[in-house]
Amino acid sequence: MHSLINHFRIAGLSVTTGSVRRNFIADGQANGIPLAQLERIAKTIGLRDRMVAASNVTALDLCEDAARRLLSEMNLDASSIDAIIFVTQTPDHSQPNNASLLHGRLGLSKSAFAFDLALGCSGWVTGLHQAALLCAHGGAGRVLLCAGDTLSRLTNIKDRTADPLFGDAGSATIVERTGQPNPVHFVLGADGKGAQSIIVPAGGARQPAGELTRVEEPDASGNLHHDENLHLDGAEVFNFSLREIPPAIQSVMQQAGYTSAQADALVLHQANKFIVESVAMKVGFTKDKAPAGIVEKFGNQSSASIPCALIDALGDTLSQKSLKLVGCGFGVGLSWAAFAGEVGPLIIAPIQPYPVSK
Amino acid sequence: MTDVTEKQFRALQAEVDVLAGAVLDTPLASVPQWDSLAVLLVITHFEHVYHVMITGAEVRACSTPRDLIKLIPDAS
Repeated sequence: MHSLINHFRIAGLSVTTGSVRRNFIADGQANGIPLAQLERIAKTIGLRDRMVAASNVTALDLCEDAARRLLSEMNLDASSIDAIIFVTQTPDHSQPNNASLLHGRLGLSKSAFAFDLALGCSGWVTGLHQAALLCAHGGAGRVLLCAGDTLSRLTNIKDRTADPLFGDAGSATIVERTGQPNPVHFVLGADGKGAQSIIVPAGGARQPAGELTRVEEPDASGNLHHDENLHLDGAEVFNFSLREIPPAIQSVMQQAGYTSAQADALVLHQANKFIVESVAMKVGFTKDKAPAGIVEKFGNQSSASIPCALIDALGDTLSQKSLKLVGCGFGVGLSWAAFAGEVGPLIIAPIQPYPVSK
Repeated sequence: MTDVTEKQFRALQAEVDVLAGAVLDTPLASVPQWDSLAVLLVITHFEHVYHVMITGAEVRACSTPRDLIKLIPDAS
């Protein structure tokens, strides 16, 4: 689906990461994997460090920290927020939703609307689309979009293909209605037939968690996981990324009238360096215009990875002036969401771990 | 035809590092580090060179590099 939304802007961005640093090489060696093999994977996939959440810290806590720091940086009062959208696959509870919990924690107005979007890596762009709709057509003047996950909790340490990939983070984005025209194009899509490629089989209503859902079994490659773990078919996800994402990006760029030369940057969901570089190359972006270094600092941060890439790679520029940006999130669902338009200048609260070590 | 197969295999070896020491009929199961990353590199090679998207399941169903070459369109 193509969607053109006008009269909104991204006014502020912040990201809070987990506070525990994990190193791919050190963890692999501790698991008895030869150094040469680890270095080959580290170099090709772009794995080095990742920041995971301390025990008892959830995506709600990470997003609350990001939101509080951003509101403070922007000198905004929580009462000025008309709606809160929380994008997560790792909510505190099956009910109530995280948006309501954060609404309460931040003390938002009772007239502020609160809902969750159950999405992962495509979720920040999808959430931006929803926030933009609320501003442009839904009566909201200011929306707080929170997007984040603690996926590192869902992987099995004995699953050497999935466990080393994920970091934990929460992001906060302030989206505002403006009087100025600022057209942003979106292309959103889904392939539900691929749902099994990224799945946590148990713990929902279909297969409630229990003793039997925690029995570990090896997959074809000998990696161990149980039904409450995140199961990731890396080859299928890679295939999906190369098949569906370049056409979605080309489509949104065409709608916006951008060429890869005219756009200032392509900001992709930071799944891993290999996927980001493969997709960027297919749509004609040079490496210097398609940031790919987020994963080796923080890990795959699910829906927080695009805001993290925006701050890490482009934050200094975006706080000064506007850039013609193209972005795309893609993953669990399977689903994707791309955007193209001018972003900035905006206010940034820096990337910071939570809790901050004393 | 054999020359073509050899040539295609050498191109594959250049991008899939772990196949460097293999020959066409080496069992893939015996190749050290024939892992999920190697599968990704094979998919990428097919995409780059032949502009076809093969699946992880197709790659994993292959027993030898010769089977991989058979996945190339128009290859017999």
